[in-house]
Amino acid sequence: MQNKLSAPQSATSRVLSTSLSRRRALALSALAGGTALTASACSSGGSSGSSDPNTFEFWSFTGINQKDSVEEYKKLAPDVTVKLTEVGNAQETAQGLTTALAGGKVPDLVLIQAGDLPKFMKNPGNFVDLTTLGADDIQDDYVDWVMAQATAKSGEIIGIPTDVGGMGVAYRTDLMAAAGLPTNRDEVSALWPTWQDFIATGQRYTQATGNAFIDNAATTVFLQAVSQGEEQYYSADGDVVYDTNPIVRESFDLGLAAIAAGITAKLESFTDGWNAGMAKGAFAAVAAPSWMLGSIRSAAPDTEGKWDIAVIPGGSGNWGGSYLAIPARAANPQAAWKYITTMQSPEQQLQHFIDAGSLPTTPVNYDKPELVDHTDPFFGGAPTGKIFTQAVLGLEPFVNGEYNTEISTELLNALNGVEGDGAPADAAWDTATKNIKTAIGA
Amino acid sequence: MATTIDPRRQDDLRPPAPRTRRRRGIVRVRWYTYLVLALAAAACIFPVYWMFVVSSVGSEAATQLPPRVVPGGNFLDLLRLVFETVPFVRSLINSFIVAALIAVGQAFLCSLAGFAFAKMTFRGRDALFLVLVLTMTVPAQLAVIPQYMIMSQLGWVDTLQALVVPGLVSAFGIFWMRQHISATISDELLQAARMDGANSWQIFARIAFPVVRPAAAVLGLLGFVNAWNDFLWPFIVLKSPDMYTAQIAIKALQSNISVDLGLAMAGSFLVTIPLLVMFAFFGKQMVSGIMDGAFKG
Amino acid sequence: MSATLTPGTLRGVKPATATRPVEKRWERLAPYGYVAPFYVLFLVFGLFPLLFTFYVALFDWNPIGDKTFVGLENFRLLAEDPRFWNALRNTFSIWIISTVPQLIIALILAQVLNSAFLRFANFFRMAMLLPYITSVAATAIVFAQIFNRDYGLLNWFLELLGFEHIDFMSSAAGSHVLISVMVIWRWFGYNTLLYLASLQAVPRDLYEAAAVDGAGPVKQFFHITLPSLRPVIVFTVIMSTIGGLQIFTEPLLLSNGTLTCGTARQCQTLSLFLFEQGFGSFKFGYGSAVGVALFAIIVVVAFVNFLLSSRLGRKG
Repeated sequence: MQNKLSAPQSATSRVLSTSLSRRRALALSALAGGTALTASACSSGGSSGSSDPNTFEFWSFTGINQKDSVEEYKKLAPDVTVKLTEVGNAQETAQGLTTALAGGKVPDLVLIQAGDLPKFMKNPGNFVDLTTLGADDIQDDYVDWVMAQATAKSGEIIGIPTDVGGMGVAYRTDLMAAAGLPTNRDEVSALWPTWQDFIATGQRYTQATGNAFIDNAATTVFLQAVSQGEEQYYSADGDVVYDTNPIVRESFDLGLAAIAAGITAKLESFTDGWNAGMAKGAFAAVAAPSWMLGSIRSAAPDTEGKWDIAVIPGGSGNWGGSYLAIPARAANPQAAWKYITTMQSPEQQLQHFIDAGSLPTTPVNYDKPELVDHTDPFFGGAPTGKIFTQAVLGLEPFVNGEYNTEISTELLNALNGVEGDGAPADAAWDTATKNIKTAIGA
Repeated sequence: MATTIDPRRQDDLRPPAPRTRRRRGIVRVRWYTYLVLALAAAACIFPVYWMFVVSSVGSEAATQLPPRVVPGGNFLDLLRLVFETVPFVRSLINSFIVAALIAVGQAFLCSLAGFAFAKMTFRGRDALFLVLVLTMTVPAQLAVIPQYMIMSQLGWVDTLQALVVPGLVSAFGIFWMRQHISATISDELLQAARMDGANSWQIFARIAFPVVRPAAAVLGLLGFVNAWNDFLWPFIVLKSPDMYTAQIAIKALQSNISVDLGLAMAGSFLVTIPLLVMFAFFGKQMVSGIMDGAFKG
Repeated sequence: MSATLTPGTLRGVKPATATRPVEKRWERLAPYGYVAPFYVLFLVFGLFPLLFTFYVALFDWNPIGDKTFVGLENFRLLAEDPRFWNALRNTFSIWIISTVPQLIIALILAQVLNSAFLRFANFFRMAMLLPYITSVAATAIVFAQIFNRDYGLLNWFLELLGFEHIDFMSSAAGSHVLISVMVIWRWFGYNTLLYLASLQAVPRDLYEAAAVDGAGPVKQFFHITLPSLRPVIVFTVIMSTIGGLQIFTEPLLLSNGTLTCGTARQCQTLSLFLFEQGFGSFKFGYGSAVGVALFAIIVVVAFVNFLLSSRLGRKG
């Protein structure tokens, strides 16, 4: 293999050095040399290749805007270089991470969404046990149940929570007014104490305007409702209970009811059409946990000030949230850990909330005036801190399991199938449960 | 699978010989012939043109109704955004390194093997050739999982040689070059060289390769295009964005929920530009190369 | 691989009689050296992975966790897995919808391009190769826009003509057509050139003689064109079969970040299903079982191809 290996690289450097200026050629052959280094690394897989203690590699996913945090960190630690890359959406990033763990170059730091975490928790040996770096000293700073989800049975701490997805509903005040509905956030919240009321409000809107009220039933109704359950797809003992847990079925039926009511725009979340629909006012309301505010901002920048945020039907709940973890083979775990402790300290989380809107995981912040009194002009001056904090306070820990993603994907697919593709509604639940059995049984 | 060799054929395929033209002079080309061809050409060109229109206007072009069909002036702005969103320069360099090495490797190694199969006799030649033809019928991708495991054992995951090395020589290329060499190089010439004491390498390097160089160049071009456009394998084996090839960078642009279609289109068009330029210069050679390698009835 | 091209073979030209025994031995080995790169690479990156697929398929194999031997359990599950049969159906459906029109269009265009005294012949040929140099990824992004339910160019046009918008992604048939259009667009020009090359090798005299005998263009097509194109048609059918079984990028890019291609997997192909199992759910064993199934299908298809082409060959 060695013979063959050397050929392409020397050819590369030859090609490059003859055709480019010396300085650029040097830079480029450093690039090609980097490839060569990894190639000759042992079979256990390369590391991130940077031995510089002040440089580390950070994988994040799109839509969560980690760039801001990294910029902020550069101000706090000017001598450190953070190589941030957005691998894809949250699921793609988790897949990329798994592939890398299975034998590729791993990053020093990686952001994992809460729903994807259980898969990694099953094999904690792939990550640095953060207690060895001092996580046990700071774990009390974070919300108990959020921390619990990142703690393995044998006590290893795999991740530090960056944010929780306290729920809310973002709605367009101008569109509500046009439909003759209230626009004030307290009055709007009062319209929908329950999900049935939410759907009924949607019907009033749709009757008045002829337009869809929400983007789609799968995420804005079902996923929110199910995420409010104290038990979701797994029981407290870790058994798979999606098919017997009444909350799952009730939430699913709520989704079907919303579709039947004709209040949905048939726009699946995070698609081109969804982005375009948001910008064009194709729907008046969308489920918006704290981290979603950034997505709305960037999908529909021209709608600034036309939004407001109401309380989610049912009052509380959490969707999403993420964790920072350090792969076991990371080249520079110390630098990554320093980033975690700096950027996820209660003070920095509060600062990040003020800048970007995601809700801290540090309860000490929940009654700080900077958070409680914070308002967001893009969302009509809504007190986002207060609304989202109320949504997560008093939540009990719920158990996530290995097949969380598969179960939720199939349920969402079944609902999207009914809504967008005209699949029969009465067969949807059976389709979903059958598909889940196949998916997690194989 | 055997082919009949047209004795008049040289390396480049020229337009039909004047002799045939004269004879067929009675037949006029009808207007509807041009209509059919113009429609087909428009169908081929429009999607690429549309890609440019959206790239030069932004996603409004794709979502406004009626759609806009005239390019706008935002192409450079969108490109700047593309470069900010993903490490695109790096991706283009990666793609170029991979495609260029594969092009050179294929042009040379396929010519060499094609020469051996066409003009040398050795034990097991026919059996080896049969194996070669059979490998063309088994899609490599059904074994992607073990291929990934091998790359991971070699420590090649996330490196460009994981793309380059397996692509350096192809069954199709050998098959193709064998045909060219059988068709264009006479046995007498080789016999004469052998009588002069030249060994097989000298014969290949000094006689055969110079003659089939145009065909090898076309093979290299096709290898370049295929390597440049390859998706599945790079998608599996390249995981960190610094190592992305341009095609994977497009995928990253497309799945990036915070950006719009205009960016994805601008990225796609940008990735197509180098091939369009290459095509403008060598398109004719590629056309005749493909036709030359084709089966003749 | 350069080992066989030893310095010894690079000496100057010498009279044949002076060839030393050592050089003779090298001369005998030389052709093996010339073809070796292909076979070495094929062994390492082709044959070995293929055989290893059969081995991995016997395990419950998590690349970042444990592997346990499960025997033929993966195959039993696969046989009962509706997602597998669905992917198989989709693959064949897309293959047929894309291959048949593609080859017919190519035949017609090749015939048209073969007209003597055709002006702009080079322009038309080059235009038809343009899709081939456009990457599948770029193609998928453009066509997804053109066929988009709400803002697609095609649906705008349909609306202009007074028709309803078509949601191509919502049904199996629609999504298969959408993927097939991409495949056809990419390959019909390439096949046209292959057919054209073969047509040009057909002696004009044959047509002229037929014309003298009173055979019209249709009769000429079926009695002269088609029989002379038989080998190249067989070749393109085989190539498009191999291509059709590998369709991956188009459904992936239509999937909006999931790997299912539609809410009910309506356009998930076998390749995408394999990828989903292997690199989405990280079931290397189960994914390999899909690979083995794909291999079995290819063997069957190759056998059918062989029977058909040898029958065609006899007839020709």
